[in-house]
Amino acid sequence: MERVGLFQKFHNMCCTIGEALVFFGEVLTSIVQGKIRWNEVRKQVYEQGAQTIIIVVLTSLAAGAVLAMQGYVSMSRFGAKEFVSHLVALSLVRELGPVFTALIFSGKAGAKIAAELGTMNVNEQITATRAMGVDPMEFFVVPRMLASFMVLPLLAVIFELVGMFGGYIVGIFQAHLPGSFYLSQTIRAIEFVDFFSGFIKVFFFAVIISWICCYEGFKTRGGSLGVGQHTTNAVAYSYILVIISNTFLTKFILTVWG
Amino acid sequence: MIEIKALTKSFNGQKVLDGVDLTIAKGEILVVLGQSGTGKSVLLKHIIGLLKPDSGSVKLNGTDISQLTERELLAVRKKVGFLFQDGALYDFMTVFENVAFPLVEHTKLSVQQVTEKVIATLESLDLHEVGNKLPSELSGGMRKRVALARAIILDTDILLCDEPTSGLDPLRSRDISDVIYKISRKLGCSTVIASHDITNSFRIGDRLALLNDGKVAAMGSAEQFRKSEDHFVKEFMLR
Ligand SMILES: Nc1ncnc2c1ncn2[C@@H]1O[C@H](COP(=O)(O)OP(=O)(O)O)[C@@H](O)[C@H]1O
Ligand SMILES: [Mg+2]
Repeated sequence: MERVGLFQKFHNMCCTIGEALVFFGEVLTSIVQGKIRWNEVRKQVYEQGAQTIIIVVLTSLAAGAVLAMQGYVSMSRFGAKEFVSHLVALSLVRELGPVFTALIFSGKAGAKIAAELGTMNVNEQITATRAMGVDPMEFFVVPRMLASFMVLPLLAVIFELVGMFGGYIVGIFQAHLPGSFYLSQTIRAIEFVDFFSGFIKVFFFAVIISWICCYEGFKTRGGSLGVGQHTTNAVAYSYILVIISNTFLTKFILTVWG
Repeated sequence: MIEIKALTKSFNGQKVLDGVDLTIAKGEILVVLGQSGTGKSVLLKHIIGLLKPDSGSVKLNGTDISQLTERELLAVRKKVGFLFQDGALYDFMTVFENVAFPLVEHTKLSVQQVTEKVIATLESLDLHEVGNKLPSELSGGMRKRVALARAIILDTDILLCDEPTSGLDPLRSRDISDVIYKISRKLGCSTVIASHDITNSFRIGDRLALLNDGKVAAMGSAEQFRKSEDHFVKEFMLR
């Protein structure tokens, strides 16, 4: 019995992953075939961005400031407090920016995507779309995913800039570093590969989050309970996959670019 | 013209449709009766290709749609109007945008022409000054009529209505049934209505089909149903 149960679970998991891959394939096909409704994309960019930006700004300001405070303490022990700006900038661009923004994004925009699509599914709005001769992938999913591909990287850049500003304030008022010095050190600290590797990460996260959230929304069944369940799942899976894939991406990037 | 032959469909091993044969002529109104869960909605969804049959065929004007791909089906569906049980209106669009949607998607009409057509259709269904409202701001009866407007705006050949009177009081039920009758006659379309509302079905159906155990248990005009000696038909009508 036990074995059968386990096998069944494994089987179900493989089916789900297979379905999700097919789903993603359909989205890619639509995009490649140029079936892109730019008007819908624009609306989604606005909605996803407007929804998330305030939390991104607040979080990044705080994160940058905290980084600088802690960095100041530990760097002072080596007598290297001038390097606080390096620490802040590199941490933000390589790790915190992409990861934090992705987590915030999945909690806000991702949850919204899953809940919206789920509700539309439960109310037969998605079936009705097919019934009216319109491809719901093209109408609902592609615009949401494309918008995420654009919005999340943009939010990450904002996170990084505002975070550096948070660090800058601490650097000036607590570490008593000259402002112009802090700035020039920051600019010197970041190399193209730092920025580029951060960008690879955040783009990868955008794909994962929008994919999971659209897929979960799309397969929602069972009324309001189902919507709640699938939305929670969407956010939880996004979190887990972002955190885990970040570890491997980091290893990969460090191996390739050092 | 709709021809359904030996249609079967199971879900998770449970046979829902088990050899359904139906033919609906152009301009005819057929009501599919049956208790909840007998597969009325499943049957309607097969007519528009939202579900694929396990076996059997569904032909619309001679084309077997069970053989078509989803892409090809999208094109076929432009000529079919589907009134969903709860309307299935887009809740993020206004009434006007909802009704205009099929026109915007499938025709090259100008904004002016779309506006005129939408307003005319809404008016013909006794919907006045609701264009700017959201579906959630309407009563159940009005929502159904808006959904009906959206279903027929492309001058459909085939109209499918899933429980048009469910959730409505007797007066509203009568209203929406009459409206469906009027529209169906005006467009001359083949109409299939799934219902368990006997009174209104008898009033507007040219023919009725009673579904039971995945099969058509009885078939005929309202008159034939009333006079039927069939045990099951009698029992169903007494409910
Ligand atoms: N997509 C589906 N997946 C699994 N079972 C379904 C699906 N659609 C309908 N069913 C089942 O088919 C049966 C008939 O459903 P339905 O056609 O909705 O009945 P009704 O006559 O009330 O409209 C029900 O038992 C329902 O659970
Ligand atoms: Mg039903």
